[in-house]
Amino acid sequence: MSQWYKELGAEGDVTVSTRVRIARNIKGLPFPSRINKEQLKAVNDEVKNALDCAVSEGFEKLNVIDMNSISDEEACAMVERHIISPDFAANRKDKILIISSDESVSIMVCEEDHIRIQVIKSGLALDEAYATADRIDDILSNHITFAYDDQFGYLTQCPTNLGTGLRASLMLHLPIIEGNGALASIAETVSKFGLTIRGMYGEGTKSSASLYQLSNQITLGISEKNALENLQSIAMQIIAKEREDRALANKILLEDSVMRAYGTLKYQLILSSEEFMQHISKIKLGCALGVIDIDPTLPTKLLVECQPYMLQKTYGIMTPDDRDICRAKLVREQLE
Amino acid sequence: MLCEKCHKNTATTHIKTVINGVVTEKNLCGFCAAAEGYSQFANNSFASMLASMFGNELATGTIKETRCSCCGTAFSDIAETGKMGCSECYATFKDRLLPYLRRLHGTTEHTGKRLNSVGAGLVAVSEESKIEQLRTQLLEAIKAEEFEKAAVLRDEIKSLEEGEQK
Repeated sequence: MSQWYKELGAEGDVTVSTRVRIARNIKGLPFPSRINKEQLKAVNDEVKNALDCAVSEGFEKLNVIDMNSISDEEACAMVERHIISPDFAANRKDKILIISSDESVSIMVCEEDHIRIQVIKSGLALDEAYATADRIDDILSNHITFAYDDQFGYLTQCPTNLGTGLRASLMLHLPIIEGNGALASIAETVSKFGLTIRGMYGEGTKSSASLYQLSNQITLGISEKNALENLQSIAMQIIAKEREDRALANKILLEDSVMRAYGTLKYQLILSSEEFMQHISKIKLGCALGVIDIDPTLPTKLLVECQPYMLQKTYGIMTPDDRDICRAKLVREQLE
Repeated sequence: MLCEKCHKNTATTHIKTVINGVVTEKNLCGFCAAAEGYSQFANNSFASMLASMFGNELATGTIKETRCSCCGTAFSDIAETGKMGCSECYATFKDRLLPYLRRLHGTTEHTGKRLNSVGAGLVAVSEESKIEQLRTQLLEAIKAEEFEKAAVLRDEIKSLEEGEQK
């Protein structure tokens, strides 16, 4: 199986990806922001041992990455692929990352919590992603004593994750809803259902390419099943609204903007990240509506592969100016 | 950004005042903001919310600083950062956390996946809380028009909920 951004999943015309993460901590050790070097090593060892035991019991072998061996560029490219958080990339000294070969499963050790199990899938795949994360949680809990309280559930460093420790999020492409100025009212509505909608790279980031993350906020007093069902049902309504608005939009104006973006991307020599994001959003929309005939997996694939550090990962380290030329070339070739 | 008054803590309260078109800005930490009387401005993050809510009491020294026996974290640290020091902090500061958990999540009772602590090999099982189970039974009883049974279930839920609030 290939990486999430190289496939078009369910409800792929609007849903880019699904991410589920479960936060767990080890009993008897301070939380990561108060941990010392020995304790950090103890957490790393405990997680590695648990996974080794799991392998001997027939569980798929996951790769252990020593984050000290990862360059700044590679760490940033991991953030761009949504495998690790910006915070983990910035504070990765002496930490480890556990990752599956297709990168769909990643376990950040000692990010905000001792253990953060993440599963990422293309399109809308909440149940599938949660089932995988839940299975890994079960496996780890067979070998690690988690910090747990009968009243509060799983104990987390930040009380915002207390209870289930579950954060499920969907990356949605909402160009028409955004263009109609309806996002503010959607954000207000979803907050009443315990959800939040925000920019592409999570907390405090701006949206680009009309990509938004819809995720659950409440983790205490709601079961995993209910939290996922709630998220799915609200997401389906937003997806339906985006589709409805796409159908109602002025056809010729919409097609014109798509074709202009397509033309620009096909015939340019220098392409900045901002300009690319703006146009690729139109290409993705045009592709979903059948206005342009290209491989439907291409927009998301380009979206990730044209990010600054992803480009450098593929083509080597270069200056920002050279990067814009390299991005232009890659996009031109791929759209041919 | 550091608090412009004490130059020690992170500024979590940012106040912009416009008087006759003259804009003045203040960037203070929770304690200094409270000392200046700005504690009523609850901010959007949990950390700054806690800081602003506890600012007053901590600044005036009415709360005696208890520290977590396990990791040494004081409640003022949690209020400032929004982060607990270790899992024991939840037990140490339980009473003071409850109102904030209620504000944050609307409840203080976990109803999701449970960690079954039988023996050393821990097995996690998913199970709904008793109240949730009773609520489902109640709905079924109402559907089946078994109102006597429904009344019993209703009272049972009520007494459990009251027990939870105490």
